[in-house]
Amino acid sequence: MNVVPRSAPRIPALWLLLFALGGLGTLVLLVLIVGILSGVIPAIVIWLGGVILANIAIVRFIVAATAILLFTIPTAFVIIFMELKVIAFMNLRIGPNRVGPWGALASVVHGLKVLSKEDFTPTGADPTVFTLAPVATFVGSVMAFMVLPFGPGLFGVDLNVGLLYFFAVGGLGVVGLLMAGWASFNKYSLLGGLRSAAQMVSYEIPLTLSVVGVIMLAGTLSLNGIVQAQSGSFLDWFVVRQPLAFLIFFIAATAEANRTPFDLTEADSEIVAGFATEYSGMRFGFFFFAEYVNVFLLSGLAVVLFFGGWTSPIPWPWPIHFALSPLESLIAILVLLIVVPVVASFLLAIPIWVIRTRLSFARAFAMGMLLFGPLATAAVLIYLVINLDALLGIIWFFAKAYVFVFTFVWMRATLPRVRIDQLMGLAWKWLLPASLVNLFITALAILVVHP
Amino acid sequence: MAVQSPSLDDPRVLVDTPAAIVDAIPPYAPRSEREAEFYALGDGQMLLNIGPHHPATHGVLRIVLKIEGERIVDLDPVLGYLHRGVEKLAENADYHHSIAYTDPLEYVSSLFNELAPVMAFERLLDLRVPRRAEYLRVLSCELLRVSSHILFMGFMALDMGGLTPILYSFIERDEMVDMLAALTGQRMLFNYMRIGGVNGDLNHEFLSRLGDWMSRAGRQAEAISTLLNENEIFVKRTRGLGAISRGQALNLGLTGPNLRACGVPFDVRRAHPYSVYPELDFDVVTADEGDTYARYLVRVEEIKQSIRIIDQVLHEMPDGPVMARIPRRITPPPGRAWAAIESPRGQYGCYAMSDGTDQPYRFRIHDPSFVNLQALVPILPGCLIADTMAVNASLDPIMGGVDK
Amino acid sequence: MLAGPVRQRHDQTEIRIAAGDVVDVLRTLHDDPAFRFEVLADVAGVDMGDSMQVVYHLWSETTPDWLRVIAVDLSRDDPRVPSATFLWKGAEWMEREAYDMFGIIFEGNRDLRRIYMPPDYTSFPLRKDFFLADDAARSPGQGVRHMEQVHPPADSEAPIRRARGR
Repeated sequence: MNVVPRSAPRIPALWLLLFALGGLGTLVLLVLIVGILSGVIPAIVIWLGGVILANIAIVRFIVAATAILLFTIPTAFVIIFMELKVIAFMNLRIGPNRVGPWGALASVVHGLKVLSKEDFTPTGADPTVFTLAPVATFVGSVMAFMVLPFGPGLFGVDLNVGLLYFFAVGGLGVVGLLMAGWASFNKYSLLGGLRSAAQMVSYEIPLTLSVVGVIMLAGTLSLNGIVQAQSGSFLDWFVVRQPLAFLIFFIAATAEANRTPFDLTEADSEIVAGFATEYSGMRFGFFFFAEYVNVFLLSGLAVVLFFGGWTSPIPWPWPIHFALSPLESLIAILVLLIVVPVVASFLLAIPIWVIRTRLSFARAFAMGMLLFGPLATAAVLIYLVINLDALLGIIWFFAKAYVFVFTFVWMRATLPRVRIDQLMGLAWKWLLPASLVNLFITALAILVVHP
Repeated sequence: MAVQSPSLDDPRVLVDTPAAIVDAIPPYAPRSEREAEFYALGDGQMLLNIGPHHPATHGVLRIVLKIEGERIVDLDPVLGYLHRGVEKLAENADYHHSIAYTDPLEYVSSLFNELAPVMAFERLLDLRVPRRAEYLRVLSCELLRVSSHILFMGFMALDMGGLTPILYSFIERDEMVDMLAALTGQRMLFNYMRIGGVNGDLNHEFLSRLGDWMSRAGRQAEAISTLLNENEIFVKRTRGLGAISRGQALNLGLTGPNLRACGVPFDVRRAHPYSVYPELDFDVVTADEGDTYARYLVRVEEIKQSIRIIDQVLHEMPDGPVMARIPRRITPPPGRAWAAIESPRGQYGCYAMSDGTDQPYRFRIHDPSFVNLQALVPILPGCLIADTMAVNASLDPIMGGVDK
Repeated sequence: MLAGPVRQRHDQTEIRIAAGDVVDVLRTLHDDPAFRFEVLADVAGVDMGDSMQVVYHLWSETTPDWLRVIAVDLSRDDPRVPSATFLWKGAEWMEREAYDMFGIIFEGNRDLRRIYMPPDYTSFPLRKDFFLADDAARSPGQGVRHMEQVHPPADSEAPIRRARGR
């Protein structure tokens, strides 16, 4: 047996890291001191600030685009997890339960798996189009996100033709699917691509026509404006005034998002996986992502158009407003910070001490302090939620949107798939006339009520 | 040495002939009139190869569709991907042994696979089976028929895109195979039927599980079937689809629920009674439409009839032995025997020839799904691609049985 | 027309006919209102060792028995029999199977090609001179042999198993 002697004692990795960080920190500090003393850094900061202030719209756009791109990833993960777990419960299964609490990280592991797989291009496929197809689909979905208002003031861009932009860009996804179907050199893919083209083009029409009534009521194409037109209680939501439009919109949105019962483009029991048959690895992952992002997108649109967007169903009746001068508020905050924890901990400790007589008071006081922590956090959060409209708006928006996401998942667990001729028949023979009738009635009502 | 034409599975075929990639035309001269006709493509037609590895072909069925857009012009089912040569194996095994070979044929209802050969062998031997054994055979077979039909409902939904019913079906099937495992000692391939009787008598675990299940069986089957019966999409997709007329069905040699859905009350249990079926009271379920939905409904109704039979069997089962006294080495006198039973898929037959040795001279299995599957060829043209799966599921083929 | 005695045993009646009479016999059995054998239960080939047979099983509501029609004495080198597809289209695949397994040619079957075995297969597995590769059972061809060996090898002592009795 050969034992190789160590020439030097082993340094723990943590220490090495700390040494390196310390060295780096010292260096950065030196550069900063020199820079500030010589006046270079202040000049750069002032110049940068000027540039940012001058181009605030562009900066806002970049920040929003980044935020939305980042936002799509957890959204897709959450919806995939919902799909795994909710369908499992509806199937009387347990579903994922290995990774994370209740298997919540299963979709993340799916994502990692997809990343680590081989990107395979089949012989005979058109490599350029084959590679670009998932990108086109994904970009289409993400771009549509830019106009979706998540809360008051929280949107990428407030276009005055927002809805038009939404449908136009959302329709880009079909190009990606068609590209995938054509470039894969596989008959299943081709059939899936053509089915998706036929389906999307057909359902685009009732989808768009169904919301014209809403546009007429709101008097604007801006999604932000449409939400504001519905502010008030839940009785002001457009679903109350346009129930038929909402029904048509929801059916068409299901078809547009390729969800069961209209998931003919990837009908697994017929054409294997449709356009995605030949895809593997991250390219497949992009399709997968785009599908789930689309689900959230259309849920969000349904909420914005018919369910009042970020507005709460019942307006908060007791607004809390503190009007204090800066000095007063400073003193108040100091007092709060010093006095309130002590007093509250003391108050919480007394009942504990009284009930558990064997505890010393010091211990009871410590427990009171421990209890106080979460309570105070909750109180501060509740205060913020009530007083910060944006936070409250986001919460309402997501709550409503996820109701629709849940409905999509629910339908997937419940319904079988329709046939292609029935799908087309539904779009052209039922939804299109119904949306036209709805449009006519809405116009008539507007004429009668507000001449 | 004769030059062999390359087989269809040879990857070189695809690389060498670009046309073969696009249209899956076999790389050899057509072997029959029909093959030549099928692989001649008309204007605007293409071949779509479905299977043998496809999510909805119930195993390893391969169907070559000739399509025009989404519409099917013609089709050619290709079999043999699961062929195990069970007949040949059985001819080289002794009589007891060959029963075990038949088990994995129709793996969803394996007791029926055993029953037909066992009955054929008993006729070769002129053997009388104890009545309790007959009742046990009927009991276990009817349980398995319920399980098979419930599984059919699930698979039919799955082939049409419904995810949930299959899992509800499997809950029931799981309970039933566990129950039968308590009776037979095996969970899937029971090997319960023996020449001259059955392998084991009733036991406590089986009876308690059976009683538990019987108390909710009807309700449960009803619940699963209403998932589909009352689903507008399901009904619209199946009603009127793939209709077969009475004459056509007889001409095609359909049997079982597929034939009864066309209005022919042919059920071997009544048409040519065997075992103790003449003493049991049940109805032969028929429907008149002959379409996919009728085939589904007939099976749903048959579940109820089977539960009725199980109930009667449990009440009327006599005491007595479960095995006749037979020697360990069986040498039937030379002769021929045919036994047919009603399996969940139709008439399951076994033709056995003895030459006086302890191995069957000829052992022929007639599988109903093999014949039923032929019906795809006349009824599918004119339908859409998606209908292939619905019709195929409604014929309920089990490829293990089709490919023997 | 009968090529042998009519036998009755258990619930089966057996008649034997020559291969040339298959069409007439089956048509009469199917069409004659006295018989009405509407259900073709089975078509099977049999290798008797020195000749071939094709066995039909028929069912009719007019009789409680299964009817077994056996077309006997087909030559082993070139077994030919008329197809039953003109009466029962469903016989097509069963005949294909008999062709695949025994090499029996059914004249009039439009689709007579192999059904189980691959297209480039040359032998007929259920014939009695096709030996299994395994030596587990007491098969006449002892030892491991090539699957597609139609004739027994020269050094083999093993006889072809022939049907005895009837």
